[in-house]
Amino acid sequence: MPAADTAEHLSAARSEVKRACHLLEAASPASLEASSSALERAVSGIDDCRRGIRPGVADADVRAADVRTMLRQLRADLRRAGRLLESAADFYRGWERILGAMSGGYTAGGEPAAVARTGKLYCQG
Amino acid sequence: MANILSSLISAAGALDAFTQALDVTQNNVANAQTPGYADQTQLLTAMPFAPADGTTGGVRAAEVVSSRNQYAEQAVRQQNALLGQAQQNVTSFTSLQSLFDISGNSGIPYALNNLFTSFSAWGQTPTSTDARQNVIDSATDLANAFQQTATGMAQAAQNNGSQIDQTVVQINQLAGQLAGYNSQAMQDATPDAGLDAQINSTLEQLSQYVNFTASQQSDGSVTVLVNGQVPLVMGDKTYALQDQPVAADPTSPNPNAPPTMSILASDGADITSQVTSGQLGALVNLANNVFPQYLGTGNNAGDLNTMAKQFADRVNQLLTQGNISDGPPPVAGVALFTYDTTNSTNVAQTLAVDPTVTADQLAAISTGPPEVSNGVPLALSALADPQSSDDEINGASFTGFYGNMAAAIGSGLNGANDSLQVQQSALAQAQNLRQQVSGVSLDAEAAVLLQFQQAYEANSKLITVLDQLSEDTINMLTATS
Repeated sequence: MPAADTAEHLSAARSEVKRACHLLEAASPASLEASSSALERAVSGIDDCRRGIRPGVADADVRAADVRTMLRQLRADLRRAGRLLESAADFYRGWERILGAMSGGYTAGGEPAAVARTGKLYCQG
Repeated sequence: MANILSSLISAAGALDAFTQALDVTQNNVANAQTPGYADQTQLLTAMPFAPADGTTGGVRAAEVVSSRNQYAEQAVRQQNALLGQAQQNVTSFTSLQSLFDISGNSGIPYALNNLFTSFSAWGQTPTSTDARQNVIDSATDLANAFQQTATGMAQAAQNNGSQIDQTVVQINQLAGQLAGYNSQAMQDATPDAGLDAQINSTLEQLSQYVNFTASQQSDGSVTVLVNGQVPLVMGDKTYALQDQPVAADPTSPNPNAPPTMSILASDGADITSQVTSGQLGALVNLANNVFPQYLGTGNNAGDLNTMAKQFADRVNQLLTQGNISDGPPPVAGVALFTYDTTNSTNVAQTLAVDPTVTADQLAAISTGPPEVSNGVPLALSALADPQSSDDEINGASFTGFYGNMAAAIGSGLNGANDSLQVQQSALAQAQNLRQQVSGVSLDAEAAVLLQFQQAYEANSKLITVLDQLSEDTINMLTATS
């Protein structure tokens, strides 16, 4: 695979990860769902890139050092995405505990009760 | 007639309630840009309606409630403290990196390389006075480079200490403001949205400097605890923090080592370990972990001093073991470097070339056997590429050891820059989350939680897959290149 193609796939994958980060920053459930699609496209981009690299064969067209640098940048963006996902998860976990305590009190062990999922339909307009 | 009057009274009451609701909305709009302000809502209460009894119903204004969510506020403050820490780390490590050149064009690596070159040139012309003088000049440059780096580092440590002083003062000032606001809040019969905005704006400012939790009390005041444990503000009282330099233990090997820094609570208790983030967290970490690694502690000379001492000692050892002339009687060489031998943490700052040494006193002849006329310069040249553990520090060449020191600073800066980027996003995320949860109902929040849980699991798996894929790809590239 020509170097240009490899770089293009990686660049596209990185753009998708950055897009996912942007969506994770918004942190609404809807934007979190949208970030899954962006991450799926990033997986596909890296997969395309991998097909162009044959293990054990040095391809003169692929400037390995450049691709490695791009991959490291991509991994830094991935770490950022992971961190944002975790901080959103922490926030929602905390909320869940508060809601559990507010709606169901505390268990005998002193833990907030689990949030009751009553099957109510909630519509937001 | 009575009914018409009742209806008029009821309508007037409703108008009054709606006017109050409009006033609240207008106040929200007016304060849209006010730091710390949270939207207020005018609650309305339906009045009893029973025409048979003459109660005409209608609506009345109830209390005004704030949309502020203390949990979301705390999440924002927590991210703000981490951002403050990252910003301070970037500033401090950027300044430190300027002391550790890695290009080889200045500072210690440049001077070290020149000295190795001068040793090599002397080895080719062991009797040349010019070559020996060049060695002395290059050694002087290296000693100056050590002095400049160590002095720069010591200056940076001192500035760091001053910044800790200033940050503690700022924290105490903000704590004083909060105590003042608390005093007002405790006197007010009804909640004051303006005062509430001032309190929250001040708490957000404070979070840049130190990690803390704030909890709203029933009397309207906020209690601020550093790391959720140490009182800083309670009611109208401030419990001021103090910073205190801690000198090395007088019985330690290096009693004159640079001091570390402690943060004390108002009762004098050491709470340094409680200060984990914010600008103060970063500064304290630099004072107690980063600077001592280079400048030393009571039990450790510090990397910069270790390198200066071991290099100077090794060069002096090789020179003094050699002879200037083989006699008879043979004349032994003299040591080139001097430094403060009374304080291991002061070696780099005092490293110098003995001003009494002249070119003719540099020994070139290694005594062997067999005697070699240029044995000493050859051995000195070998310091550039060590073949023996005597020429190494902790298994690394002198150049390699310096490289590790510079790399640790570079790595600290990279980590701080990465962290800064992540924290900027994390703070924006926390602010968005705060916006989303303001004034929402429990049902709405429970629905959001369920939706989030599903999205979280999907995203989490995808990030793991991507991480693995990108790592595998890097490994594939390593195999092909």
